[in-house]
Amino acid sequence: MSNPTRLTLSRRELLASSAAAGLGAGALATPLRANSATAPRKQLLLLFLSGGASQFETWDPKPGAKTGGPYRAISTSLPGVSIGELLPHTAKNMHRLTVVRSLNSGIADHFQGHYALQAGRVAKGYPVLGSAVAKLLERPGDLLPGYVVIRRDSPKAYTDVGDAGFLGAKYEGVQIVNNQPPANLAPPQNVEPALAEAVERVRQAADDRFRRNRYASPIDSYGTTFRQAQALMQRSDIFDLTQESPADHERYGKHDFGQHCLLARRLLQSGVTCVKVVHFDWDAHQDNFYWHQIRCAEFDRTLVTLLDDLDERGMLEHTLVVITGEMGRTPQINNLGGRDHWGRAWSMAMAGCGVKPGVVYGATNDTGTEVTDDPVKLGDLFHTYLQALGIDSSSMYEVGGQTNPVADPAAKPIDALLA
Amino acid sequence: MNALFRDTLLAGSLLCLLIGGSFRSVAAQDEGKSKRPTQQGAVAPPLHQRIDDLIERRLEELKISAAMSSSDAEFVRRVFLDLTGVIPSARQARSFLDDAAPDKRQRLIDALLARPEHAIHMARVFDVMLIERRIPAITSYDVASATWRAYLTEAFAENRPWDRMVRDILASDGTGDQHAAGVKFYLVRDVAPHQLTRDVGRLFLGVDLQCAQCHDDPRIDAYRQAEYFGIYAFLERVTAFRDTEKNVSLVGEKADGKTTFVSVFTALNGETSPQLPGGEMIADPPLERGKEYVNPPGPKQRGIPVYSRRNMLAELLPRAETEGFARNLANRLWALLIGRGIVHPLDLYHSANPPSHPELLELLEHWLVEHDFDMQGLLRELALSQTYQRSSVLPAGAASLPDDSFAAAPLRGLTAEQLSWSVLQATGRVEQHLHQIAEKQSADKAKSADATPDDQSADAMPAWRRRLTQYEPLERQVKPLVAVFAGLPGQPDGDFQPVVDQALYLLNSPAMLPLLRDPPSTLLPRLTAIAEPEPLAEELYLSVLSRRPTAEEIAEVRRLVEPLASSERRQPLLGLIWGLLLSSEFRLNH
Repeated sequence: MSNPTRLTLSRRELLASSAAAGLGAGALATPLRANSATAPRKQLLLLFLSGGASQFETWDPKPGAKTGGPYRAISTSLPGVSIGELLPHTAKNMHRLTVVRSLNSGIADHFQGHYALQAGRVAKGYPVLGSAVAKLLERPGDLLPGYVVIRRDSPKAYTDVGDAGFLGAKYEGVQIVNNQPPANLAPPQNVEPALAEAVERVRQAADDRFRRNRYASPIDSYGTTFRQAQALMQRSDIFDLTQESPADHERYGKHDFGQHCLLARRLLQSGVTCVKVVHFDWDAHQDNFYWHQIRCAEFDRTLVTLLDDLDERGMLEHTLVVITGEMGRTPQINNLGGRDHWGRAWSMAMAGCGVKPGVVYGATNDTGTEVTDDPVKLGDLFHTYLQALGIDSSSMYEVGGQTNPVADPAAKPIDALLA
Repeated sequence: MNALFRDTLLAGSLLCLLIGGSFRSVAAQDEGKSKRPTQQGAVAPPLHQRIDDLIERRLEELKISAAMSSSDAEFVRRVFLDLTGVIPSARQARSFLDDAAPDKRQRLIDALLARPEHAIHMARVFDVMLIERRIPAITSYDVASATWRAYLTEAFAENRPWDRMVRDILASDGTGDQHAAGVKFYLVRDVAPHQLTRDVGRLFLGVDLQCAQCHDDPRIDAYRQAEYFGIYAFLERVTAFRDTEKNVSLVGEKADGKTTFVSVFTALNGETSPQLPGGEMIADPPLERGKEYVNPPGPKQRGIPVYSRRNMLAELLPRAETEGFARNLANRLWALLIGRGIVHPLDLYHSANPPSHPELLELLEHWLVEHDFDMQGLLRELALSQTYQRSSVLPAGAASLPDDSFAAAPLRGLTAEQLSWSVLQATGRVEQHLHQIAEKQSADKAKSADATPDDQSADAMPAWRRRLTQYEPLERQVKPLVAVFAGLPGQPDGDFQPVVDQALYLLNSPAMLPLLRDPPSTLLPRLTAIAEPEPLAEELYLSVLSRRPTAEEIAEVRRLVEPLASSERRQPLLGLIWGLLLSSEFRLNH
């Protein structure tokens, strides 16, 4: 399971690929994947509308209904389909999207919703989507972390509870806060390279001795974090947004979400398997309509820019883009002009790899209080994401001598959404 | 309704009498009834032997051969970490290893349990367990962590029984000084009834009642839902009250509020009064309209009802009769020492996640009830067991053993606190700090030698408080390290999950080098002063890994330092210290 040869091999690869990166250092990050010659790896981008976006103001408008709010619905590039007027750019691109309007998760709590959405089940201890896909699409010799989370700093980042569950630390999302590269990415100035090398030699030798006759898994999982650290230090350029053109900064928008999406593009191009961008904060208990105006304006233009870029670079074919929050918002408008937490009938969207473009699936009633057609559960979506990425969602993880289904066996993929 | 209330009240007061008076004998009768190998007359073997017997029996059934007994070096490091939260100093490790007495393990266990460091460690463990690193919405009104820490430390120093601790915490409203700190449990949860209900279930009963959807069987879900709302009914009336004059938050309570719920499975409406798992429903006493309050709630006034459901919870929950109460403590203390719960995860006791050793869990639960929830006593028995004292070196040919067989010592990550304090210990900072205090004290004493000794005031301060005060400067030093290794707020510290940010911190944080190299760290100058590679290696390994080096390790040290003059040795010695601190052997409790 854990032998010194594997370590040596990885170190050699690390050196080889960093040398390559040095030669090709240009505006674009060089892909850092051992098997880049073979078919491109499928990738995942989760645009997470943290706090829960209102389906009424986005994908499932109900103009005129007492629950509908003040905004109009506008027609889209899909004949007969309207979405909220706050998403004019997205409306012109609806033919590229796959929208689900009949989500019933039954969860109206940030933590639970966020976990269940990402793990595709309520039972705890399972890996979240990014960790799961990082594991399931992993190739031998991968050096970069398979999963990176980009978010704004917030004292109450109540949705960031995701982790790799039983998959272990290797698949834990690396957190990028405010587009800062991970902390401590560069060696401190007062440490000479010779000392750093000595430290690494002593550490490895000690671990090799300690591993003899002991259960290797926790020892390896700790050792892995140091190898990941070294890979990140070698390739700190992939976090360097100054290498992107001023025009691109402008196109994505100078706000957090725009800049975070630009970094997401850079990371996906560099070969990170899964990226999650957290768009903060949609939790509009007050002034929902004003709030959504601001959030939607950021989201709308950036989403389309991102889809254009991924498409142009041929990445959309192998990148699944998932757009969702952890829940929807209540049909009732409260006395502060807000909408509260709501899990019974809400919407999400997808684009790219493996999903059928131009599909609007499911429906809610006239006031948006109930799902009327094709109800969808979070577990079904999870199966669907995996299938779209070419992963058999009925397969099993074999980790630490235990067998666990990768997706909730009580749920199933939604075939109508799959290309 | 009235009749029900009277019955419940009567039953309740009878129970109280039993608890206060002769609960011990009730438990003893239970013991007699169950057919244990030891019947009347024979003296029951001590608990640690009965634990080992049960574990052995299962290992035989599973045909697993257990790991051998731990070496003294494995044991000394582990027992220091588990009972005092930090590795031993080189001096402490050496003196234990050199002790030839056959009963030295037992003596060490007893000595460690008697130290103030044990109470301080337990306070840290229970702080993390009860607070889960939460920060309340408005921090300035929270109970200061020093106050809360002192409150817990005192409780553990006097080995306060768990039922009393829980009762004080649940009953605390933030007023009075006796147990005011206990209100932190409410405040960090923003006095939110649903959050409190869930955590009372998880932390005091070992069941996550909100986890209804974990089950496939709707009947169990429905049952769980009723249990959940039974506890919720005790807590639904609590309210946060902010005393803006004194800058404190208090817990108030309303006198009305009915708990209703809709079953997700049967769509039936349920209405429930307070009820504990396995207990009776408790109806509110009939009160005359307008006379429900001692203090009606208002903007300037905390609500105090005549009849408090929350006080009922504080009174009734922490008792042996409450399903899960003693079991949860038994399981948590077991996990604290043995590294994994008999029910695992610790807050997921349910039919689909049964205990690995039901009869063992029952034995520990009974023991706790018989011994008035004596936590220190149970820890002692656990530490004395062979099960605890096994090696983490696997038997020849085994790549792993099932975690839940307890056949070998597991490799578990040090907690953020254990790790951070152990870095300070390994570098000599803890000893150096205490040494400086002792020197200053004896200097002060010498100065006032002819004055009347006013040690009286110092002696009046209990040992735990003196130690806590002495550790304050170190507490500040470990904070940044703890922050790097701590789990997420609101989540239990789970299984070992190292992440890349931590590795980056250990390799590259500008704080690391000074921590290892600069005073008051003593390890580097100590090592620099030793000329011969062999004693040098010994001092290094005893300081960082609490054991003597192997021949291979001595050779490594020799290779690195022997060719160099002592003035040139600082760099390679730093490399050795730093590298060993980053090793799995240091990072894990093994």
